[in-house]
Amino acid sequence: MMREVLELYPGAQRALFKRYHIGGCSQCGFQPTETLAQVCQRNGELNVNEVLQHIRTSHEQDAKILIEPKALAEWLRRDTTIRLLDVRSREEFEAVHIEGSVLMSQPMMREIMAEGTNSRALVIIDHEGKQGLDAAAYFMGHGLTNVRCLRGGIDAWSQEVDPKVPRYRLGS
Amino acid sequence: MNDDLQKKITDAMANPQNMGELPNADAVGTVGNSECGEMLRMWIKYKEDRGRKIIDKATFQSFGCETAIAVASLATELIKGKTAEEALSMKTDQLAGELGPLPPMKIHCAELVQGALRSALEPETESKPAAGTPASQSPSLLDSFSKPKEGSVKVVFLNEDKKNT
Repeated sequence: MMREVLELYPGAQRALFKRYHIGGCSQCGFQPTETLAQVCQRNGELNVNEVLQHIRTSHEQDAKILIEPKALAEWLRRDTTIRLLDVRSREEFEAVHIEGSVLMSQPMMREIMAEGTNSRALVIIDHEGKQGLDAAAYFMGHGLTNVRCLRGGIDAWSQEVDPKVPRYRLGS
Repeated sequence: MNDDLQKKITDAMANPQNMGELPNADAVGTVGNSECGEMLRMWIKYKEDRGRKIIDKATFQSFGCETAIAVASLATELIKGKTAEEALSMKTDQLAGELGPLPPMKIHCAELVQGALRSALEPETESKPAAGTPASQSPSLLDSFSKPKEGSVKVVFLNEDKKNT
């Protein structure tokens, strides 16, 4: 089922969209209860094995960008120039954020691009590791190579590094 | 999804314009709900131009759908220099600009952008009904997006959840 595919390969939604334009949002995407075969079937009878291979390859590429929470904590102790860029909403950022991180904004975006330096590392932080890779891909697509993404987002940071950072969920 | 459209979306995604919060914005509009992964927020800054109040700059933040990001990227460019009324009168296919007509399954993504625009711009039009809103559609998501302006992002701490159970 797609739910399991996404659990196993969190970047699967991105991978499917980028190559096959499947998914994206709940309206044009797939249901968690659908199987990958069903999704492939109704999107032009794609070859399931080929799609699965693509998801796996993308996952391996994603894994290179991800940094484990504990590894980031250690890195921050050694390097104080690391820029922590939070790509969540302002409400979430104001409710809780990692010390030293900055909320992504238009001026911040411009500053990072204008700086264009690869000597200063950029680490993307999201809520649960679902959106940060897109932001990381965006910066990398613009020539920044020293870009990482916190695996599991701030939620994993709370659980594995700093329990004082409270965990939360998004309500409606 | 035809290849041409896919290429255009990919191109727009490769260099999205106007992403991120705009400090000192005059208006902010939010639609959707980040919980389900499709929230779009738009910031607008106006300026005076020959007695008209026109949009000087527009930026957006999106969670989720890449088509919505591509449309928002193009739309925030297209509405520059327009008044709030002019921007609101734009239809979804106009907002999608050079992406051209979107297939039915992707129209929702452009509606998300239109909803965010309405949410941000409608105070400027003194609650007049937005022109150009698709009238023929059955209850659309746009309607539900446009209702509450606030509270689209609600942070619930997990320890509070535990207390309540």
